[in-house]
Amino acid sequence: MCLELHTTAGTAVIATIRTVAADLAARADFDLDSIDDLRMAVDDLCAMLVRLAPKDATLRCRFTARPERIEVAADVDVEDETEPPPTRSFGWRVLECLADDVSAVALPRELGQRSRICITVAKNAATAQQP
Amino acid sequence: MPSVSSVGTEHGEYAHLSPLQRRYAELAADDPERPRLREQLINGYLPVAEHIARRFAGRGEPLDDLMQVATVGLINAVDRFEPDRGSDFFSFAVPTITGEVRRYFRDHGWSTRVPRRLKDLHIAIRSTLAELSQQLGRAPRPSEIAERLGLPVSEVIEGLQAGEAYRSSSLDEMLGSGEGKATLGEFIGGLDGELALIDDREALRPLLAQLPPRERTIIALRFFRQLTQTQIAEQVGISQMHVSRVLRQTLAYLQEQMAGLD
Repeated sequence: MCLELHTTAGTAVIATIRTVAADLAARADFDLDSIDDLRMAVDDLCAMLVRLAPKDATLRCRFTARPERIEVAADVDVEDETEPPPTRSFGWRVLECLADDVSAVALPRELGQRSRICITVAKNAATAQQP
Repeated sequence: MPSVSSVGTEHGEYAHLSPLQRRYAELAADDPERPRLREQLINGYLPVAEHIARRFAGRGEPLDDLMQVATVGLINAVDRFEPDRGSDFFSFAVPTITGEVRRYFRDHGWSTRVPRRLKDLHIAIRSTLAELSQQLGRAPRPSEIAERLGLPVSEVIEGLQAGEAYRSSSLDEMLGSGEGKATLGEFIGGLDGELALIDDREALRPLLAQLPPRERTIIALRFFRQLTQTQIAEQVGISQMHVSRVLRQTLAYLQEQMAGLD
C-alpha cells in the first residue's frame, strides 16, 4: 500500500503527517513501541526538512506499508547546494535509534525540478530486542 | 466504580473523630479553634483518602497525584459536611472524595474534548498494557490488546488514537519527581564513548546535565543504550505511555535548545 501527501513545508502540518504514519503502523499491527517510534521519527524527519526549506517550499511524503515494514520517504525543495542534515549530529542519532534504516540524499536540480533533500526512514514491525 | 466498602460502615477506628466533627460544625466561622480542629479532622480521616486513591492507582496516574487529589476531596468533605442533616460523615465524604478523583481522571488528564466512550476505551486499553508487556516481553500489538479485551482491532486503534489527546499533568512530568530504580551516575559517566560519535556533543552535554534526573535517565536509556520504551518503563518504574510522553517532551526541548544554538 502506498500513500502520498503533498503539502507546504511548515511546522503546522507535521502533526498530521506523524499521525498518518502512526495510524498506518497501528493498522499494520506493529507493537506499541514501534508505532510510537515511527511517530517520533516522522516528526523529527519532517522538522529537519522544514528547517532546510525556504518559504513556500513543497514537502512531499510517500508512505509505503508492507506487512512487516513501513517506509516513509520525504523530500523538500531547497536552495541549490543545500547540504543534507549532518549524520554525526544528535538529531540524526535520535532518528537512527527510532527507525531501523535511515538515509538522506541531496538531489540536484534537474529539468522541471528544483534541488531537493530527501530523507527516508523505515521501521520494521518487530521491535529489535537489545540485550 | 471502585468499591470502598472495606472502609466499613461502623468506622470504629474513626469513632473518636465524630465528636470533633460535631464541634467543628458548631463553631462560628471565625472561631480561633477552627483551624486546629480542621487540621485534626483532615489528618484523622487521611487514611480514607489514601484508601480511595489506591483504588484508582494503576490507571496511569502516579499515586502521589491521586493522593493529592483525594486529599483535596477530603478537605472539601470536612468543610462542607453538616452533621444536622442526619447522614454520617462517611456517606458524605466517600462520594465527595471519589468524585474528586474521578473528575481528575475525566477532565484534568485530557487536553482536548474526547467522547466519553473513547476515554473509557483508552482507560481499558491502558489497564491491559503492563500485564501484556510482562507476558510478551515486549510492547503488545493492537491485535493482542483487542484479543485480551474482546474488542475489534479497529476499536483498539481508535482508543489508542484517543490516547494522543491524553496528557497527564505535563508540568509535573517535566519537573520529575522520582528517579525510579535506575540510578543516574551509572549512565552519564558511561556516555562519553557514545557522545564521542556526536559532533554537536559540546552543545548537548550541558543541556543533558540540566535535565531533571529522571528525564536524563530516560533520554540516555533510549538514545544511548537503545532500550525500547517498554524496557525503560520496566527499569524506571513508570508506564510505557508515561515514558513516551517524557521522551517526546524532553526531545522537543533538547531539539529546540540545540536549534537555538545553531
